[in-house]
Amino acid sequence: MTATAALLPPAFMPSDYGPALRPHVSEQMDSFVSLPVRDLFPSFAPAITDGDEADRDKVRAETRAALAKVDMSRISADDTVNILASEHGFGLMGGWPYAEMIKTIREVVIERTGCRKVNLRLAIYRGFREADEVNHHFGFDEAFEGRVHGLGPFDQGVEVETAIGPMYLVKRAFDSTKFIHAYYDDPREMYFNRLLYKSFKSFCMSYARFETRSIYHSMFGNRSGSIIPRALFDSEFIQCRYAFSSVLCTTPVGVVGVDATTDLYAIDRRITRSHLETYGRMQRLFSEIKDCVAIWDGGRWGYYLHSGGLIFGTLLTNHSDSFDLDQPVVAGFMQVPGAPVNFSRNKSLRGIVVNQAWVGAGIPYVTMPFTTPMYIVGEEQAKLWREDSSNPMLMDRAKVVDSLQQGIAMACEKGQTDKLLVFDGSYGHLTCSQSLADHLLARAPEVDRVVGEQLLPKWLAQRGLS
Amino acid sequence: MAVVKLAADYAPEPCTGCRLCDIVCPSGAIRMVERKPVIAEDLCIGCGRCVDRCPEEIMWMKERAEPLKVTVTPEEAPAEEVLALLEKAGIDPTISVCVCTLTPASEVAGAVIKGAQNLEEVCAMTGLRSGCGIYCVAPALRLLEAAGRDMTPPKQHRWYPSALSLWDLDESVRARYPDAFIGEDQDAFDPEGRFHQTKEQQA
Repeated sequence: MTATAALLPPAFMPSDYGPALRPHVSEQMDSFVSLPVRDLFPSFAPAITDGDEADRDKVRAETRAALAKVDMSRISADDTVNILASEHGFGLMGGWPYAEMIKTIREVVIERTGCRKVNLRLAIYRGFREADEVNHHFGFDEAFEGRVHGLGPFDQGVEVETAIGPMYLVKRAFDSTKFIHAYYDDPREMYFNRLLYKSFKSFCMSYARFETRSIYHSMFGNRSGSIIPRALFDSEFIQCRYAFSSVLCTTPVGVVGVDATTDLYAIDRRITRSHLETYGRMQRLFSEIKDCVAIWDGGRWGYYLHSGGLIFGTLLTNHSDSFDLDQPVVAGFMQVPGAPVNFSRNKSLRGIVVNQAWVGAGIPYVTMPFTTPMYIVGEEQAKLWREDSSNPMLMDRAKVVDSLQQGIAMACEKGQTDKLLVFDGSYGHLTCSQSLADHLLARAPEVDRVVGEQLLPKWLAQRGLS
Repeated sequence: MAVVKLAADYAPEPCTGCRLCDIVCPSGAIRMVERKPVIAEDLCIGCGRCVDRCPEEIMWMKERAEPLKVTVTPEEAPAEEVLALLEKAGIDPTISVCVCTLTPASEVAGAVIKGAQNLEEVCAMTGLRSGCGIYCVAPALRLLEAAGRDMTPPKQHRWYPSALSLWDLDESVRARYPDAFIGEDQDAFDPEGRFHQTKEQQA
């Protein structure tokens, strides 16, 4: 038994879209433990950071080392360069590793090319105030000498001709002569993206108008949707502006490095292989959880809160193997006739306790509140949820509880389980109950064997990566 | 059906008349009169986007005295016309196109059959875009396009006429992106060849 007393997760950004910061689960209850990811899967390489801000210099050094090998000849001193950043990067380990990579990119571009007009464009989702929050929290205005703007799906678009037809990107993202794709490799919604060209996804989401985002999610399947971002990336509009990519690389252990080059396809192949080896094992381990209560305890949307590097959505959709491309659907709007998949229900998930998280604010929880008991801690949060238009029925079903302890007790009693998993933004370990830690430690060796001997070879072959 | 519990409201001062609330309103509920927003409460679907967008922070959502039920019932649009429009657009009638309100595709088609001329009218009639405001847009635009509506984009980038679908991709695209599972997904989601030509049909 290697689990230790629960560690504090990385600090997160306060936001208008969530409640006032509250004490974490690990601060309120001493019955939780931290289960190290590398105790589950010893083959995973150590990380350079799992969110400790004392590791800033390590991230900067990794970024500089990666950028040293990048051909920056596409950028001249006369160019204007946009560094394009996507919001979910700021939800990784408190967001500072991604922020440090971005700031370092600016410094190196100026040093190497003489170009001084380096802008930051912060792509956000639905909250119009979120870009300002990110800008302020991470000190970008100062680092970029005021050359920072937010952008979102409702901003003015620009029509882009692609091999599959015209689509619309956000004009402000490309109001420069060149741009840098500054990304992170959090696999996040593996059940949607299926790790098929995930490194390109920003081109149809973060940098795109809402119509294009809708096409990606609603008019294609999980697998075929991968053509949308690639068609945009391959378009003349993008290629004549594209300088290079820099990607913050992670595993469930934490940040493991930075990958940077002009060849985004090459980055994607490396990341996909790494993800299938590491996140693939964690995803299959989550599928070994047959009964548990999840606790949301972070500064982002509940779906996107991490535990051991995997988001809550992964637990919700662990009904099947997200990486097996023989399966047409894991989640999504397009369904196989006669065989619909309810991706918003997991019978092993017996309840959800919301200690703190952003309300829906554009993220619908679909049928989850109808099938999974939810307990919202405190009236302040309940009020935010009542006003959330993305989930108009949620508070008709969810219960408001006075305390975290009360919510957990009610959820465990109703769900007939003592297994608890906290989504608090942690990498490198899972914050969980001792009973769940014991269960996961017992199951991990067999998961490791099955993935290594059976699943991984298939997943790689399906992607041409054998 | 969408149950709208909230409605937008605002304080006239210090409104600067910037129009941003009007531009982001998905249902045409906000119109500017003498540089001030006028909110048609019966059209407001409670999305709250105007409140979030307002740079002066002088807008808010208020609770309605009675929730507004926004829907197009099956009685309001002939079933055969609804199904024909969905077929033409290549949209399965059984799917929910909006995951926030769980609005079925058939209801959106019903709104178009009932007379909706543009995206704003579809939203006002069905509550579409009252939640995330994003994922339901393409199916609605595709149904409007299939019905022959004027798809000229309105001013101030309210929406663009973009309604690409899996069914629009042909052999040349499949050849260029052979690993994008285009043919496989077309066959999986449409095994009977209603929206695309299956291999058997091609043969």
